[in-house]
Amino acid sequence: MSLSLIKKLALGGAATLALTTAAYAQTVRVTVAEYSSKTQPYFEEAAAAFEEANPDIDIQIEVVPWDVLLQKLTTDISAGANADLSIIGTRWLIDFVEQGVAAPLDEYMDEDFKNRFIDVFLEPSVMDGKTYGLPVAASARAMYYNQALFDQAGVESVPENWEELKAAAEKIDALGEDIHGFGLQGAEIETDVYFYYAFWSFGGDLIEEDGTSGLDTEAGYQAARLYKEMIDEGLTQPGATANSREDVQNLFKQGNVGMMITAPFLSSQIAEEAPDLDYGVAAIPAGPDGERGTYGVTDSIIMFENSENKEAAWEFLDFIFTADWRQKFTSGEGFLPVNQEVAQMPEFTENEDLKAFTDLLPDARFAPVIPGWEEIAQITSDALQSIYLGAEVESTLDAAAAEIDGILQQ
Amino acid sequence: MSRISRKWRRTIFSWLVLSPLIVLVLFPFAVMFITAIKPATEVLRPTWWPSEVRLQNFVTMWEATGFGQALWNSVYVAVLSTAIALVVSIPAAYAMSRYRFAGRGFLQQFLLVSQMLSPIVLVIGLFRLVVWLGLIDNINSIVFVYAAFNIAFSVWMLQSYFSTIPKDLEEAAWIEGASPWKALVKVFLPLAVPAMVVTSIFAFINAWNEFVIALTMLRSQATYTLPIQIFSLVAGRYTVEWHHVMAAAFVATIPIAIVFAWLQRYLVRGLALGAVK
Amino acid sequence: MTRSPLTNPYLLVMPGFLLAAFIILWPLYQLGQISLSDVNRFGQLRGFAGFENFAAVFADPDFIGSLGRTAIWTFGIVIGTILVSLPVALVLNENFYGRGIARVIIMLPWAVSLTMTAIVWRWALSGESGMLNSALRGLGVIDANIQWLAQAATAFPVQIMIGILVSVPFTVTIFLGGLSSIPDDLYEAAKLEGANGWDIFRRITLPLVRPFINIAVVMNTIYVFNSFPIIWVTTQGGPANSTDILVTYLYKLGFRLGQLGEASALSIMMFVLLLGFTILYVRLAMRSTRS
Repeated sequence: MSLSLIKKLALGGAATLALTTAAYAQTVRVTVAEYSSKTQPYFEEAAAAFEEANPDIDIQIEVVPWDVLLQKLTTDISAGANADLSIIGTRWLIDFVEQGVAAPLDEYMDEDFKNRFIDVFLEPSVMDGKTYGLPVAASARAMYYNQALFDQAGVESVPENWEELKAAAEKIDALGEDIHGFGLQGAEIETDVYFYYAFWSFGGDLIEEDGTSGLDTEAGYQAARLYKEMIDEGLTQPGATANSREDVQNLFKQGNVGMMITAPFLSSQIAEEAPDLDYGVAAIPAGPDGERGTYGVTDSIIMFENSENKEAAWEFLDFIFTADWRQKFTSGEGFLPVNQEVAQMPEFTENEDLKAFTDLLPDARFAPVIPGWEEIAQITSDALQSIYLGAEVESTLDAAAAEIDGILQQ
Repeated sequence: MSRISRKWRRTIFSWLVLSPLIVLVLFPFAVMFITAIKPATEVLRPTWWPSEVRLQNFVTMWEATGFGQALWNSVYVAVLSTAIALVVSIPAAYAMSRYRFAGRGFLQQFLLVSQMLSPIVLVIGLFRLVVWLGLIDNINSIVFVYAAFNIAFSVWMLQSYFSTIPKDLEEAAWIEGASPWKALVKVFLPLAVPAMVVTSIFAFINAWNEFVIALTMLRSQATYTLPIQIFSLVAGRYTVEWHHVMAAAFVATIPIAIVFAWLQRYLVRGLALGAVK
Repeated sequence: MTRSPLTNPYLLVMPGFLLAAFIILWPLYQLGQISLSDVNRFGQLRGFAGFENFAAVFADPDFIGSLGRTAIWTFGIVIGTILVSLPVALVLNENFYGRGIARVIIMLPWAVSLTMTAIVWRWALSGESGMLNSALRGLGVIDANIQWLAQAATAFPVQIMIGILVSVPFTVTIFLGGLSSIPDDLYEAAKLEGANGWDIFRRITLPLVRPFINIAVVMNTIYVFNSFPIIWVTTQGGPANSTDILVTYLYKLGFRLGQLGEASALSIMMFVLLLGFTILYVRLAMRSTRS
């Protein structure tokens, strides 16, 4: 029995499936990251509307959980089985571009199309003057605070800098055993980012001008010491190293945490799950010199270089990046608008919470565009977890910085 | 009278010995069930008793998680892969228990070694294979993979059981003029039913619970099996609807639990005669 | 007697062998190829690399740490499982009221996929909203919440405990099979000779169950060594890699950091390690049964 016969037998099962799609001239497969339970219905709806307008194109939406998106893309690409379009974290884009996996989109884009976007969000997807991705989701970070706890503890104004934050955390923490001053994320994805909020406001840079890691600088030490002090003094929720972003957000929704830093989507979650929570959104605290930094994140949708249906794929991109569809997605998922026209809609301009985020955008920093950034983030997170668990600040950060320098020099 | 009281004493003793384990086993089920019936707003509070019982959660879960489709996919994959594994394993096990032939030792070793390769170690290579076959996002791809991974165990189980069935019985049938085929179907296979039941249970459970392969090969919700479907409710979402997750996990375990309750006496009997030789 | 395909062992063995070989050996060959190549994160081969990938794995301190923890993890669960399962199987082998229900309950963890079990435990172990803390507090066992997953000192033992819990059903089933194969008259005879319970266990039960224990050790070792969901779902190997075992390290290496070459090399090393252990154990077990 030859291999090809086996192959034919195996394909028999697939044949019936193939028949149903044969009626369409072109099939565009789109890999979509699942942000919430609304993601799939949204894209299915968009695809259906698009297919109605373009009967010769069939859109296949493949929804993938965020946690495994990079793994799936990697295995897909390695086997040449990737879709035509995919949502990716923009911080991965450099790897895709360097390996020739992502196709430049400039030939399809005219000035009008480009102007649909807010510059600051389109920029991270531009490399060597070419646009490789379109921002599909954007968020920045700001500080959420629990007004009720502030009132109870007698905190009169929202902390402006880290010193005030610590003082406020002390007062709030004294309210009770279950009440914690400052929610500190110490586990899973973006553990490093939670540290950068303080690191940036102390004047740190992730990559120094000489191309080495900035962790082993005074800013790094100060920021780490600040967090460690708060942990040691019991001002944070206990067990920081077991708490992912979702865990800390859950504590905030329950009204057990005074302050935390996170993305705008927490507002829409609170509206649904804890509508009675009395909270506010403010800027991330500033450092001693008044510096502050928020983390800007975009996810981009890219087109694969090996796609055989680039024209049809572009048609679909053009379609979902119209204002109406963008508005639907952005408000459903609780992201920041990336589209100029959407940003002007009253729904967004009149939203107090979102305003706090958009005000911070001039201070937004994005993950550095270097290959292997995921590995550096992992090293940083590991070092921070060690520190939160009791390791010495300077030596741990020095060791992490040395390891990162090794990667940077490659 | 005294016999009954002895049995009662043994009953109390037995339950006492088992109780710590039983508590630990039932604990996650209690967590599942209680979280599943809580109103959404109370899910995050670690209380044991919800202020009201929300059985509708099961209904909304069914809708919100696309449970029906995933359940069907899981049943389809588990039944079909078990059937394939059994169909190819029975003749192989029969040959290995009845005949000495060149290559038998090699085959046995190959089976033992293949048992040691877990899907996660092979996943990169398996994925390339499935792509080459053009079966990505086709549920049949995992049927074949599961069937293949179950062959080693199935052959081994069946073979050691078959060896306990005396050859005389078949030979007697041959002498009476039955063809080997008829002897097999009429005499041998009926005796082997317990072993086949046990083997199918193992194969079925493996397929029902498998995670890594399904995660890698399946692409769209239409093809997701239950573990993937439930995992996707938890993994990397910006918010997790725990009451739905727990309701889904609870409902997903019930079919298997019933199968177990029904077949567990076969399980032990089949193993008793088979497993070790 | 007519020639029948039933009398040709090769024909009987062929379909099963082909299917297994096709789906297991082909990927294995692929892994070998990748592990010896310079490969980018998308698996595209960029030339021959010799044993560089293997050397890189060995040079990583996380590898050594994970290796040690894998040993603790595997032996901890395998030994723990045997120690729990043996008495449980002995009890379940006796006739008592509700035995059927007890058997079904003990078997229940088998009915739940490991992923789901791990998800439920993660939820139950959460420090502030976890129901384990709330239950222990209610019983007065602890007065402050324990952050189970915040440090390896509590997380790893709990993970091992979960591992034992899910391995017990399979092992008990095997032992029950072994126990029911012991003829009753052996016990009767021993009782007539005045042997007490412990003697019976040591002289009759244990030796006769020994082959089943060997089976349980080998099978559990293979399963546990390769077990991924418990650790991945509860801690992802964290904090700071302190609960990483080889499979979670492999997953991070391959799919988080995109080092497919190193990941393939590690896969092969893990396979060799497991193979070596199994051969060693089977040899030892066979020698001791023979003597």
